[in-house]
Amino acid sequence: MTWQFVLDQFAANFGLWWVIWPAILLGIIIGILPGFSPQNTLIMLLPLTLAVPVEQAFAFMVSLYCANHLSGGIPAILVRIPGSGGAAATTLDGYPMTQKGQAQQALVLSFVASVAGGLITTLATLALLPWLSQIGLYLRSVEMVVVMLFGLTLIAVIAAKDTLKALIAGFFGLLIGVIGTDHIYNAPRATFGFLELYDGVPLVAALIGLFAVSEALVMIEEKLIVSREGRERASQSQWADTVDGLRISLRKWWHIVWTSFVGLFIGIVPGAGASIAAFVAYQQSRLWSKTPELYGTGIPEGVIAPEAANNGVTSGSLVPMLALGVPGGTTSAVMMIVLQYHGMVMGPRLFQTNPELAYGVFIAMAVAYIFMIFTILPLARYMARIVLIETTYLAPIIILVTIVAAFSERQYLFDMGLALVFGVIGYIAHKTNYHVTAMLIGIILGPLFEQYLVRALRISEGDVSVLFSSTLGNMLWALLALSLALPYLRKPRSQPVANGR
Amino acid sequence: MKPRQPLGADLVIPLLGLGFAAYFFVDIADLGWEAKANGVLIGAILVFLIAVQLARMGRQFARGEGDLRADPLWQPPDATRKRLGMVVLSAGFIAALPWLGLTLALWLAMLLALFIMGVRNRATLVWLPLALATAVFLLFIVVLESDFPHGPIEKLLT
Repeated sequence: MTWQFVLDQFAANFGLWWVIWPAILLGIIIGILPGFSPQNTLIMLLPLTLAVPVEQAFAFMVSLYCANHLSGGIPAILVRIPGSGGAAATTLDGYPMTQKGQAQQALVLSFVASVAGGLITTLATLALLPWLSQIGLYLRSVEMVVVMLFGLTLIAVIAAKDTLKALIAGFFGLLIGVIGTDHIYNAPRATFGFLELYDGVPLVAALIGLFAVSEALVMIEEKLIVSREGRERASQSQWADTVDGLRISLRKWWHIVWTSFVGLFIGIVPGAGASIAAFVAYQQSRLWSKTPELYGTGIPEGVIAPEAANNGVTSGSLVPMLALGVPGGTTSAVMMIVLQYHGMVMGPRLFQTNPELAYGVFIAMAVAYIFMIFTILPLARYMARIVLIETTYLAPIIILVTIVAAFSERQYLFDMGLALVFGVIGYIAHKTNYHVTAMLIGIILGPLFEQYLVRALRISEGDVSVLFSSTLGNMLWALLALSLALPYLRKPRSQPVANGR
Repeated sequence: MKPRQPLGADLVIPLLGLGFAAYFFVDIADLGWEAKANGVLIGAILVFLIAVQLARMGRQFARGEGDLRADPLWQPPDATRKRLGMVVLSAGFIAALPWLGLTLALWLAMLLALFIMGVRNRATLVWLPLALATAVFLLFIVVLESDFPHGPIEKLLT
């Protein structure tokens, strides 16, 4: 790969602006709406992507994918409803910033962190692709079990107000995630007799219920979702607030860089995904902060870390697909189908047989991120105004529209009812500080955790000690234990009082 | 003397978790070990964590620091009325969908929801639900062609 090759690819991808721009706009819209996933959108648009040349198809798909990751943070910041699981961690500090009247700054921080994080990791991937592709090979079932537990227990650490309650919520979620048929015998488990639960708990219904419906039920108590001081600030928002957000982002440039690399490395692990990446980055950010007690109260670092990480995932998740032929997630699986339809054979040989495509994917991604920042940044000022809508109107709209959106994943009316049930559970959890985010992450990880655990146990014929049989796995266990213990070791210096909600 | 904490609300999630874990254990009792290994492991950890939480709360009760009131769930009373109204209305909306179709059911549900929330302006009560129902109709029925039940409006317009 020469500089000339890279420059030619950049020029070619800038020429695809007419493909990239509509994909970005579409990605932003579906990212804002809970219930609309990039994979479902790509599946719906499959006839279109199969009909156009592969370079255009891929530019469209990666632009939509990246824009989706970026915009999931918008509702997370404005109304505490993550557009996707990857944006759940953004609610922890993004929403408190909104309540303080700093929604515009929070949005700008989120946009800059997302774009810079995505751009940095895309360029890093481009340079380090042959080496990065090897990482996935070292992670087997045993290590993946630890990675999953790592993701879950980190949330309990983040919810430092009451770790025990957060762990209960997390493991409750994990058990809910086991509902459905098992992988070996296809026997239904804890389905309450509902056929609709045989495939497991639908994630969109859980996300909508635990976050959107429950938050709307909570917000009824206040006239506006912002505090009185925040209301004045939000109503007087100027372009200066956008500039202020940019200034803060520049000051925190190093934070953006290292948290985006957390996302990149986690993205390379097949199945780990943006949710884990965002929480790991948030937790690590808090762990190494000089002021961990401020996390959860609405600070810029708490928005930057998850947003940089969940966009760092975008390039990471494509690495195993291109280099090994193993899709890192559902969206990359859809992309792989399109590439295979066009006759591309994934794996190490792709870099010799079709370097324009193998490297071009990441260059298209970098170009998409550049387009994205100019598209979305000017909108922050206007988006921030949503917080001035009275909850009298906002709550019914959120409840009814998101319940309708719960239908979109599987087209079952049952899922709408399930979203309402999760909404009530989420409301009770909100009010009693049983961290809903931990519960959601548990539900997301449940099926994956089972898959890896059962695989590891089958290899060892049921011997549990297999979980402590690998060096890398043991190192990960030690890291997990350290992450749990470190906040307590640091306690004498600073008392974490993060927002339990 | 410190006021007693209303700990009744704190019991709801542990009791739900405990009940679900018990149901899970009973339901998987006859399955092969591969099908129940994960559930048993996670369920056992959950039961242990809940036991620790209940012991912690028991200690608070014994010290006279808390009682079984569940105030956080019901306060403030005015919001609770609206909240219950929204939950019942949402359940009714889902139940009515097969007969009324998405557009009409949503228009009616939104109108009633605004009424429950205290809106009395007639123009708002008519036009806001209409705008929302139209947008949802265009997105889900026209553009995405979702399999929502078709009612009179959908049958008339599609």
